[in-house]
Amino acid sequence: MAETAPLSGVRVLDFTHVLAGPFCTRLLADFGADVVRVESRLRPDRLGAGTWKPGFEDRQDRPAAYMSSNRSKRSITINLKTRGGRELATELAAQADIVVENFSAGVMARLGLDYTSLIKVNPRIIFASMAGYGQDGPRRDWVSMNVNLQGCVGIMMVTGAPDDPPIAVGNSWCDYVGGLTTCYAILQALVDRDQAGVGANLDMAQFECNLSPLGPLLLAATLGGVLPPRMENRSATEAPQGCYRCSGNDEWVAITVETDAQWRSLVRALGSPPALLDARFDSVAGRLANHDEIDRSIETWTQTQSAVEVARALTGAGVPTERVRSIQDVVGGPDGATVFRTMPEPRIEEMMYTGLPFHFGSGELATPFAAPRLGEQTDDVLRDWLGMDAIKIDALREEVLV
Amino acid sequence: MARIIDISGLAGAYGARMLVEGGHDVIRVEPPAGDEIRRMVPFVGEPGPEHGAYHLYLNAGKRSLSLDLESAEGQSALVKLAATADVLYATTPAPFDPEQLAQSNSRLIVVLVEDPDPELCLSARSGLLSLVGRPGRPPMMLGAHLVYSIPSLYAATATLLALIQRGRTGHGERVSISVRECVESMMEQAMIEYTFTGQGTERRGSRGTITATSGALPCKDGYWLLSLIHRDEGWNTLMEWMDDPVLLADPSLAKEENRHQQRDFIMDRIETWARQHTRIELVSEAQDRHIPASAISTPADLTDDPQLIARGYLREMEHPEFGPIRFPVGAVATVRGTAIKPAPRLGQHTAEILTELGYSARDIEVLARPRR
Repeated sequence: MAETAPLSGVRVLDFTHVLAGPFCTRLLADFGADVVRVESRLRPDRLGAGTWKPGFEDRQDRPAAYMSSNRSKRSITINLKTRGGRELATELAAQADIVVENFSAGVMARLGLDYTSLIKVNPRIIFASMAGYGQDGPRRDWVSMNVNLQGCVGIMMVTGAPDDPPIAVGNSWCDYVGGLTTCYAILQALVDRDQAGVGANLDMAQFECNLSPLGPLLLAATLGGVLPPRMENRSATEAPQGCYRCSGNDEWVAITVETDAQWRSLVRALGSPPALLDARFDSVAGRLANHDEIDRSIETWTQTQSAVEVARALTGAGVPTERVRSIQDVVGGPDGATVFRTMPEPRIEEMMYTGLPFHFGSGELATPFAAPRLGEQTDDVLRDWLGMDAIKIDALREEVLV
Repeated sequence: MARIIDISGLAGAYGARMLVEGGHDVIRVEPPAGDEIRRMVPFVGEPGPEHGAYHLYLNAGKRSLSLDLESAEGQSALVKLAATADVLYATTPAPFDPEQLAQSNSRLIVVLVEDPDPELCLSARSGLLSLVGRPGRPPMMLGAHLVYSIPSLYAATATLLALIQRGRTGHGERVSISVRECVESMMEQAMIEYTFTGQGTERRGSRGTITATSGALPCKDGYWLLSLIHRDEGWNTLMEWMDDPVLLADPSLAKEENRHQQRDFIMDRIETWARQHTRIELVSEAQDRHIPASAISTPADLTDDPQLIARGYLREMEHPEFGPIRFPVGAVATVRGTAIKPAPRLGQHTAEILTELGYSARDIEVLARPRR
């Protein structure tokens, strides 16, 4: 399938590390591009190494998180601290369609591998950098990670209840959003290049990538509007909506009542308790105004039963309800996630991976293959991209290809 | 530049905005009363279909075509429009028959964002809710409908991918985006941890989950953010600065895996120390030492942000109603320099677009007339 994938034949030279960058280039690999990760034995990408609990030791030379973020790529080792290494990287960039990097601002310029340097050897290059705040502006030198971004763009202060402290999202949300946004910008540059023949310098600030989905609130504040309070789990237009405690340890159900008919069904399913038969609750306006009171009645009922029982009863009554699933339920439970699939991984026979959450009518996009060992395809890449012979490669082996 | 018909709801709305930033001609097809995005809070000034903040941001740069798709004439106009378009971008349930529209144009790419669940149920079902909120209290959904940024980002990306594919095959793809799978994909790190170690992932309130020393911490005058990298250097630099005898007494903490074992103890120590300092002291001192720290913001704190102004993210605009403002153009428009026009008034471009499609002035008048 790979030959027919949209990006087959597109070459990506990948200088990324940790998550946002490798996730971005993994998407390009999933779309069929030939992605070559430039790494070094002197400073391997230890993403996920020791980040996890005991029992999460490396498989051969790779941590689990690396295997996930770098599947379907090839690896070359180059020591960019040597002049020969930088020259070799430039030669590879001359053959690439796309270069992606997520060093701190200015690092690629110091290596002579920034856009300005590389367009001299490759005028059609699409160069994407993914620094925290971008390559210019007063905060260009600030360092930044996912949790910083969650807080400084406002995610932590629009999530939760009005009197909550800042609320974090328990994953690397901002790395995924930044990686996707950068991938989008790269594809747009490819579309443009097909038409105009020129590449692009995409200075994607991760701060801006993550602020942009909050654009409506930023614009509202700019125009002098009043921002709404933090909404907990409620809706501005539908009620009741919330997470209700069930019996057992940390068990919850999510319920959303979207229509008056669903409200009547909910009340019946709860056994028509007198407290809920109040005429004030007949309209959504009344339910929104008396949300706390309604929540107490609902929770009185839910906390005597298991989340599974509540979800079954209410779903059966036509009220949108879901048990709050933990990762155990998402991965292994009945009716679990369909985005997680299984692929061969020689280090451990097979592993679960995240597939693409979209589908092309013409068929699969590209079949994933296992993440490379460090430098596994060094020789192959030099031969494929540069036509280098074994003698030349061996001459570089000791100093450059490490 | 592609011509894109946008009939998307909230699950795809941010993606259509990204297509505007990519420089495409995005035509927002709206019912005569206006789309649902126009009615979302907050409003700027008088509540109404021209004043919703989500509309003003997400529909910016689009053209508005008001069509009554419940009428045969409206459907017929949509078929004519689809014959001239490159992409039909919509969320389900969609008010048209994609097969019929594709019949008249084999190059038409149809992107359907499949969105079967209410927002909170979607967040619960995918597991995302289990990662957000204070321990012991209810799990929390992301605010500001941020969960929909993920299907939107995938939908915009898949749209471009289909355009690239069409350049090779000549045929318009049928692309379906599963909103459920998009949100499930954000459980990737929890899935890896669970499948490799058997451990679950729990919500930790203000504190981060992935790296041991990360989160929002209280200080003298509010909160600040700290997020140490997983390498040893980050820890050593922090210890030089904090000079905390208790933490320094345990050199094994230089290793991320050991920090994970004691992460709450470590974060408590840092919190006690940080309470003696102000936000500005902590963030500027940390950044001087190359430690990832930052301030907590709400979107309202960023309207005059010097970084966003310097980079042209907040761009001067003369808005027809609000006058001179600094408009957030978006991450992609910032780097591409794309001009973003203000959001259209409802039906602002109806006559213009129908004329492009060959409708006479008289036909347009009939189409625009309210149905009885």
